[in-house]
Amino acid sequence: MIRKRLIISFLIALAGISIPLQAAEEREPFDDRYCTTCHGADGRGNYGVQAPRLAGMEDWYLIRQLENFRAGIRGVHPRDIEGIAMRPMAAKLTDESITDIVDWVGSWEYLPTEVTVEGDAAAGAQLYSQCATCHGADGQGNEALGAPALRGQNDWYLVTQLRNFKQGWRGSDAQDSYGQQMMAMVQMLADDDTINNVVSYINTLGRN
Amino acid sequence: MTRLVTRREFLNLLGATGGTAAALKAGTALGLLPATRSAKALDLLALGSNNKKVAILGGGLSGLTVAHELGKRGYDCTVLEASHRCGGRIFTVRHGDLIDEIGNRQYCEFDDEPHMYFNAGAARIPTSHKQLLAYCKELEIELEVFVGENNNAYMQDDGSFDGKPVRANDYKTNIRGFLSEMLAKSMSAQQMDEPFTDEEAENLLGLIRSFGDLREGDLYQGSTRTGYASGGYLTHGVQKDMLAFRDLLAGPMARTAMTAYEGDYGPCLLQPKGGMDNIIAGFLRKVGEQVKYRAMVASIQVNNDGVNVAYDQDGERHQLEVDYCFNCIPTHLTVGLDHNFPGDYVKALKYVRRGEAYKAAFQAKERFWEKEDIYGGITRMNNRSSEIWYPPHGIHKEKGVVLGAYDFGGGMYHTMMSQEERIEAHLRDGEKVHPNYRNLVEKPVTIAWHRMNHMLGCAARWRRSFRTWTTEEEEMYHTLQAPVNGRHYVIGDQMSMHSAWMESAVLSAHWAMEDLDQRVRAELA
Repeated sequence: MIRKRLIISFLIALAGISIPLQAAEEREPFDDRYCTTCHGADGRGNYGVQAPRLAGMEDWYLIRQLENFRAGIRGVHPRDIEGIAMRPMAAKLTDESITDIVDWVGSWEYLPTEVTVEGDAAAGAQLYSQCATCHGADGQGNEALGAPALRGQNDWYLVTQLRNFKQGWRGSDAQDSYGQQMMAMVQMLADDDTINNVVSYINTLGRN
Repeated sequence: MTRLVTRREFLNLLGATGGTAAALKAGTALGLLPATRSAKALDLLALGSNNKKVAILGGGLSGLTVAHELGKRGYDCTVLEASHRCGGRIFTVRHGDLIDEIGNRQYCEFDDEPHMYFNAGAARIPTSHKQLLAYCKELEIELEVFVGENNNAYMQDDGSFDGKPVRANDYKTNIRGFLSEMLAKSMSAQQMDEPFTDEEAENLLGLIRSFGDLREGDLYQGSTRTGYASGGYLTHGVQKDMLAFRDLLAGPMARTAMTAYEGDYGPCLLQPKGGMDNIIAGFLRKVGEQVKYRAMVASIQVNNDGVNVAYDQDGERHQLEVDYCFNCIPTHLTVGLDHNFPGDYVKALKYVRRGEAYKAAFQAKERFWEKEDIYGGITRMNNRSSEIWYPPHGIHKEKGVVLGAYDFGGGMYHTMMSQEERIEAHLRDGEKVHPNYRNLVEKPVTIAWHRMNHMLGCAARWRRSFRTWTTEEEEMYHTLQAPVNGRHYVIGDQMSMHSAWMESAVLSAHWAMEDLDQRVRAELA
């Protein structure tokens, strides 16, 4: 809690210097702490605006994605509706802001997510064996391979992202090497049912 | 399948209209439809020495209505507002104001003068919205007439009249003329005899002729109702040429010209003098001390005895234990909170989609519209910027603020653009109507409601179909309207069947307070 407070104080201080100086007296201050508006209280994820859980995500993964959004590597395909919504949020962040935000997000504890996807988990288990190579047998993720944890993520978000990779709406940028890898891997998922099956299996991996 | 309507069927349809009118009258008698309403005073029990605490989540109009009314009855109310300002989508933008769009923050640079403002959300009050008007009276908010329909404003469509702007008056007069001529010619005396008496038939024909300003032989040959091409004061007026009917039929603008100002949009409309948020200021004069700003709700836990609300403010998490909770946080944001709502309630919360409306405005360096005989009103364009609104206030002052775009249906088109792209799109659209527009306007602001911090959406959309509610939608609506455990109420225009209007927000608050009042009376009896 102390850590969180320190970070917040730091952010407020940052906000103070980010205001145009000539109008600092009269103008409403702002900072870059927008995350919870979309991503829900304590970053739990919000189905209502299709914004995924941030709480409990790996720092290195969050940084990579914020940088990808900022650089226009992710969130530019016209069919990636959620990514397009995210991109302008990240576009104006400085390196310092990203570090601060990720520190802030890191102070939120993981919260269990609701199961919303219906599929054949047993069928999904067989498909998942390929995913496990990078994302781990328990969906715990693998930093060395750049693969984030999957277990405990909002299942509707996983479905959307798998579809986006499959359609090339995410991961087709030449600079997005991890994304291109995912695009190749998800071609084994033949249709929406298959995607639901593998996500249903990921739901069984649980997380505390 | 479409088929031609025979003349006889058409006349029968005219007869059926009378039948509908009769049915409407009967409906009113049965209490099924509202008769002309007058604002009713809320009959709520004053608490006396009974202490009841209320949390109001969101400082929008519905929330402030609850704070004001329950405060008068002795309830101890706290309003938690996530942003730096109250009012939600009642948002008047003036010099120096922060427009907190996520990813596109702006400060308004309009000149610092009382008439230089832009109502970026709610912008007009129909005179039939009596509950809202009653609060304007009670809170002593000065009102003035808002001009929506203005015959001197323009219609512009790239596909008609070589893309040139045409005065609304020319559109309407010519459309009426052509339609009247068709109607008059299609009704011989013999055909008229069947459903009507001689006198009725003569009167109907007279109405048709007068409606379209027809000449001898029931011909439409233009009309001076459009104003003169020249002269008219010291010399004889010269009638304008008729418009080409084919051009009027080339796009959707004829329909827009004839129907844009019906129902809630029709005259007479009102606005608070100095900006729509003066209504919010009026409420805050009464309940301002109960509002906590930058207080973002994190958790709502409803139990049998009350509601526990957690919120973040100044980097700390605070707890608020209350007896009742009124929640005007947009449904799509409530979904993302920690809560213990029942499953069918959550299903309804998740079902409501967020609106996408988008507006933009410019400061005009001079009031160029007044030089074109336009004082207030709305120009309609068949392009994505869609509308230009000329301010009815600040007449003959040096400058004014014009609305440069209002996309109320599919605002994502502009929302997904960068600020620079949005502005260029509006300049490009606007200069088709006012050729020097680009040089006459400056200091733009854009409001993409879908991305405004702490709102992320314009008016709630309950219906998937444009016209009707499904049975399931009606059920979900009533599920969400009913309080959880008699403790937690969803309010706001989102909790109405007529979202986007301030009147709906007020009425949703009244409904919830009257429901609460019955429970409190039963408890204290």
